[in-house]
Parts: sequence; C-alpha cells; structure tokens
Amino acid sequence: MALDSKFSPIRKGLLEFLVLKIVSGTTVYVPDILKRLADTEFATQEGTLYPLLSKLRREGLVDYDWQESDSGPPRKYYRLTPTGRSHLGELDDYWALINKTISSLGN
Amino acid sequence: MQKVITVSLNGNAYALDEDAYARLSEYLDRSARVLATNPDKAEIIGDLEQAIGEKCARYLHLHKNVVRGAELQQVLDEMGPVDDEGAAGTGGASTGGADMSGSGLGGAGAGAAGVGGEGAGTQGAGATAAAGEAGAAPYGAAPYGRRLYQISEGAVLSGVCNGIAAYFAIDVTLVRAIFIALFLVTGGLALLGYLVLMFVLPYANTSEEHAAARGLPFNARVLVEAAKEKYAQFRQSGEWRGTRAQWRSEWRRMRATWRSERRRMREEWRAYRRYGNRPGGVPPPGATPPVTPVRYTAHVITGIVIAILSLVFALIGIVWLFVLLSLLTTGAVLGFVLPFSVPLWVTIVILVLLYQIVAWPIKSIRRAAYYSMGTYHPAWVDAWDGIFGLAIAAGVLWYGYHHVPALHDLVDHLTRWWYDATGTGGGAWT
Repeated sequence: MALDSKFSPIRKGLLEFLVLKIVSGTTVYVPDILKRLADTEFATQEGTLYPLLSKLRREGLVDYDWQESDSGPPRKYYRLTPTGRSHLGELDDYWALINKTISSLGN
Repeated sequence: MQKVITVSLNGNAYALDEDAYARLSEYLDRSARVLATNPDKAEIIGDLEQAIGEKCARYLHLHKNVVRGAELQQVLDEMGPVDDEGAAGTGGASTGGADMSGSGLGGAGAGAAGVGGEGAGTQGAGATAAAGEAGAAPYGAAPYGRRLYQISEGAVLSGVCNGIAAYFAIDVTLVRAIFIALFLVTGGLALLGYLVLMFVLPYANTSEEHAAARGLPFNARVLVEAAKEKYAQFRQSGEWRGTRAQWRSEWRRMRATWRSERRRMREEWRAYRRYGNRPGGVPPPGATPPVTPVRYTAHVITGIVIAILSLVFALIGIVWLFVLLSLLTTGAVLGFVLPFSVPLWVTIVILVLLYQIVAWPIKSIRRAAYYSMGTYHPAWVDAWDGIFGLAIAAGVLWYGYHHVPALHDLVDHLTRWWYDATGTGGGAWT
C-alpha cells in the first residue's frame, strides 16, 4: 500500500502514454480502453479517462470516428493520428532511456 | 410508491427514482464545476452521460425500467470522480465559475418529473437545461462572431453548402439548388468555386465552432446538441449509402489529420511566442485561451494562396502539354516555327527543362505555404495535386472546347491527327 501511494503520481503521469499505446493498435471504444487497463496497476475510471481523451484530441494526438451500435446511440471510436503516432514513438524511446538509466544506476 | 423522474442522458431517456436522480444530478453538477474551464466541457459531459446511460442499461430489463438509487450509485462509483488535473490545459480545475455552473443542471437535460407508479415508464422526457446553462462556462461569452465553416454532418459532398446554409440560417436544400443553378449558368465554373471553398474553409469540429457556424453563442448548447442528434438519426437512416459514406469518412479523416497537425504546430508556435522558450511551454495560470480568429483568418489566407498556386501550377501544366502536342503534330511551337533545324528530341528536352524552371518556384512557394500551416505530407500533397490538376484540366478543356474556337479547332485537329495516326475511324468526337 505504501508503494502504491508512493508511485501514484508516476502512474498518473504514465497514463497518457498507456492510453496512446492502447489506441495505437486498433480503433477502440472507451470501455475497451478501461477493460485493458482494469487488470493492471493503471486501473482507471471514466471520470479520468474522458477528460484525458479530450485533452489528447485537442493536442491532435488522437481522434475519433462515430460508429453505429446495435444497442443505443452511435459510439465514438478513438484512434491514433499520425502526429500521435510520432509522439508515441518519442515516448517509447524516452521510456526505454529511463529504463536504461534506472537499471544502470546502483551497479 | 416512489416518484419517477425521466432524464435525458446525451439524448436518450432514462427513468430514475428520486434518490437516483439526486445522486446523478449531484455527480453531473460536480463534474461541470470541475470542467468549468475546460474548452471541451460540453463534449466531455455528453460522453459521461452516455457512459452512465450505458452502464444503467445493465440494470434495466423488460419488466424493470427504473434505475434505483443504489444501482445508480454503483454506476457512479464505477465512473469515478471527474479528474481534470492536467487535462484542462489552462491550469486545471478552477473554482471561479463554480457558483454559476452549479446553478445549471450541468447538462443533464433533466426533464419534467413524470409522476407514475414504479415500473410505469413515464414519457415526460425533457430538454430544458438551457436556461441553467447560460453563463456557466467561461467560454460561453466568447467573442465568436458568425463564421463560415464547412459542416460535414449531413453533407452531400464536403459540407460547403451546409456551412453556407448555417451561416445564413436558411435551408440547405435552397443553397444546394442555388449552387446547382450556378453550376449550370456558369458552365461548370461554380464547381471550381466549390473546390476552392472546400479547401479554404475549416471544418466546424468542436461545439464552439458549430455554434459559431450558426452564429449562436456557445451556451445555446442544447440547440447544437439537437443538431448532433439529428445527425445521429440521419446516419441511422443512411445505411444504404455504405460505400460512399466510407469513402467520405476516409476523405474526412485525411483532412482531419491535416487540420490537427496544423493546429498543433500553430499552438506550439503561439505558446513559444507568448511565453518564450520556457521548458514544457506551460502557460502561466490565468492565461487567456487561444484566440480563434487569428487561426481562422490565417487558415483562410493560406488556403487561398495554396489554392491559387495550385491553379497556376495546373494551368502551366496544361499550357505545357498543349505546346508539346502542337510540337508533335505540327512541328512548330504554337505556330512558331523554330528558326534552325533542331532535332525534335532536343526541342522536347528543352521544353521539359523550361517547364521545370517555371514550375520549380511555384512548387517551392506552395510547399512553404503548406509548411506554414503546420503540415507537409508529400503523399497527401501529391494526391491532392493529382485530383486538383485533373479537375482543372477537365474543366478548362471542357470550357475551352465549347467556348474558345481556337481550342475547339485544336482539339479537333488533335483528334483527327490521332485517328490518322492510329488508323481508327474518326468523326465520333466532332
């Protein structure tokens, strides 16, 4: 539990990275994103995810298409934009760099 | 016996008991307060409402059509509190507009309370949240004038007519009829105008832009929501247009990519200009939101420049083609016989070089214009060039064939030459 709260700001900061990663595969509906995150340390709720997605969309990293649904109104399916893809590439590299730094220290 | 309240969640009616209603409106009020400074507030609230609705559907069956308080609380616990930290862009949640936005219903079009026994689905759906919404968002009073946008919802081609109709608040069918009339009267030139507008006018994407396209203040959100709903209905009824819709969404996605790219670059540049090269480019608290008119004007001007350059470029290409053809068919450049006997292939090489020399600066300027808009995708630009060039070539040829005698003669001459050369029977064209 102590670890959990200690790393809470880090998890929060990484959420954007993870969301971009999930969106990068196929177009996804928000409950799919939540489901993917639910079993991880990054379990998230709609209340956090929707504002984050709208921010990412404003930044031009993701965008959505409307798709019909059998039950209920049309749904927004999110996907990565080319900008988002290059941004994700940078994040990936940076994350690898951080990992390298962490593992290289203390030896 | 309990009272049942019917609410509209992002356009769908749900029946709640009083306890559930109180919890829901408290949640949405709180969300609206947290999102008070978020430019996408309306959209996020709509998304949240839809998510809540979908979760509620879990508790509804054929013989149970009211959501109870405990069930709704379960749904809200799953939703989690709205967390706008870092997402707002301009400094997270503020309490500045909290009092005002609290007085509105935060977008949960709470309807007139329909009284009925539990289980009896009440039909008192309502959409009366408009009054409470007024003045809630700080963007509500944004100085948007009326602006010309393209509106893709319900568009036939790209949404130019739709945007014009919204701008003048007239029926879109009337605009389309006028456009078709213009097309016939001007002999197809109106299509060129349409192409230019299609390229120059930005799309209305956000709720604010949709409101601006109709000259409404943004807080008349309910009206815009109604428009969105209409669009949803339209889409549901339009399944027979499968392939064309697919093609259109592909096309729109291409343009959306281009626009978002441009927007990102502009925002980076603006942040750089305003705050210097501060690491991370974080605006200081209380910074004013981005000024949209600048973006709009710049877009229009650059769009015009690019469209004109594309036009010039295509015309040069056509002229060059005619020169080449006249050289091949008559051995002279547009009636001008070369002074000394240069071999044909040397003349062609010279023509190619001349073309490159003339076209190169235009290409460069155009590329620079694309860059200034914040995007340059070679494949995209080439594809656009191809389509645009072909359209102009076809338009000019068609117009010229029917209105310019010299061109008419030239085309006839060319076809005759072609039939002579290939040995096929002629006369079909003339």
